[in-house]
Amino acid sequence: MPGVKIDENDIMIELHGLRKAFGPQQVLRDVTLDIRRGETITIIGQSGGGKSVILKHMIGLLQPDGGEVRVDGETISTPTFFDTKLIRKKMGMLFQNGALFDSMNAGENIAFALREHNRSMTEEEIQAEVTEKLQMIHLKPEFRTKMPSELSGGMRKRLALARAIALKPQILLYDEPTTGLDPVTSDVINDLIIDMQQKLGVTSVVVTHDMASAYKVSDRIAMLYEGRIIACGTVDEIRNTNNPYVKQFITGQRKLPTA
Amino acid sequence: MEETKTVPEEAPKRASALDSPAALVVLGPWLRLGAKAKNLLKESCLAMALLGRVLIRVPYIMRNRELTLVQTISIGVSSLPLLVVTSIFTGAVATFQCAYQFRNFVPDKFIGTAACKMILIELGPVLTGLVLAGRVGSALAAEIGSMKEKEELDAMEVLNLDSLRYLALPRFAAFIVMMPALTLISDLLALFGGWLVSVLSLNMTTYTYTSGLQLYFQTKDLYSGMLKSFIFGIIICLMGYVSGRNAGAGARGVGLAVMRSVVSACVLILIFDFVVALCFF
Repeated sequence: MPGVKIDENDIMIELHGLRKAFGPQQVLRDVTLDIRRGETITIIGQSGGGKSVILKHMIGLLQPDGGEVRVDGETISTPTFFDTKLIRKKMGMLFQNGALFDSMNAGENIAFALREHNRSMTEEEIQAEVTEKLQMIHLKPEFRTKMPSELSGGMRKRLALARAIALKPQILLYDEPTTGLDPVTSDVINDLIIDMQQKLGVTSVVVTHDMASAYKVSDRIAMLYEGRIIACGTVDEIRNTNNPYVKQFITGQRKLPTA
Repeated sequence: MEETKTVPEEAPKRASALDSPAALVVLGPWLRLGAKAKNLLKESCLAMALLGRVLIRVPYIMRNRELTLVQTISIGVSSLPLLVVTSIFTGAVATFQCAYQFRNFVPDKFIGTAACKMILIELGPVLTGLVLAGRVGSALAAEIGSMKEKEELDAMEVLNLDSLRYLALPRFAAFIVMMPALTLISDLLALFGGWLVSVLSLNMTTYTYTSGLQLYFQTKDLYSGMLKSFIFGIIICLMGYVSGRNAGAGARGVGLAVMRSVVSACVLILIFDFVVALCFF
């Protein structure tokens, strides 16, 4: 939907046969998914189904029990290999609850990583960058002195997004960006996700079970069910699917629809 | 739609004599004790690994001097009021008990000698260690545990920020500097408490008490206490950090991590107190 030209053969993130278990619980059984450069793909599925686990594999917070994760042509993790330092510079992540640093104010939350990774930048340049990022997420510069506890849920998520884009990532991962927000604030976040794709040209992976958000921001939607990707297609393909499990999920029915 | 495979059920376990209720009653406490010892050993091993990883990052200490200063104030200055109360009263009680035991057997001036030895070698460092394990070690475990719970540690990793450099190293440096300093302050306050009791309650003169302090004083007494406090500082910081890092989910997980940090730090402080005593005396 967002109208950015995407090359179907230019793959940014590849997941092949991903498996992950936590104790006796097998969360991912065989996840295979290709994510194209510049697209926004949304992974939908039930709560507790392993959507966030997929994101954590992409960014190297978890190592798979089986399968392979490749980012921008490089293998970053297999059960026997794990090297995430280089790819983390290419990635940013918006956590479900923002994961802002509570002991720092809004400005410092954005400036912290900037200051540590760009030691040649002067303090004025860092503060200018912070102001620019705050403007990108439609927060006034005065907000830089507010502590995270003084911000609303929507503002916290926007601030977390500003922090995620501060290091100019090529890939942005969103973990349930609209969960817990009212419909209007959710739409503001949706617009920001689209903005990020159009203005920064980032590849975005959104994990959500909010179908309104998924329809609005996605180029493609993939459905995770019982540890596997059971369907992947454009928004229209997913809307018109005959797959009963996808149908059940997108229409929010308790029972499987009969054919 | 792809077929989903069902996970095969595990085969039922074979019944054993050890599973009988009678065996469980007899073995239960031992098994629980074994499990706790295993946990303590596991956390100690993790703490040793962490110590190595923190030591590698010592060259970054000057870059993080502001964070280190904040921690030094938080650990040191903020702990002083509690330390003042516990040290003065412990010194006073120890001196009073010495006087009670020595009455009619030992001259008064040896009360000061006994108090000095007891405070410098044992009471000062161990008491400071236990107080800081309760006050600062628990706060450290709670802070790191709640940062983990709120995904702040993951956020640091994702931003390519080394959490050991920004969280562990400043606290580690602050503990190493402040523990011996606080122990020295605690020693002086405890001796002051002993003097108060001697003069106000035991009818001793200041001269008798202070001459007793100097009698048989060896610098080894002071050094061994300082070495202990240095080791205790490392133990408290490591156990607090490791417990917080391994905290389970939710408020209960953080609560258990805090408890584990205090228990393991206290147990290790007592064990290492014995080890250092064996080495020095």
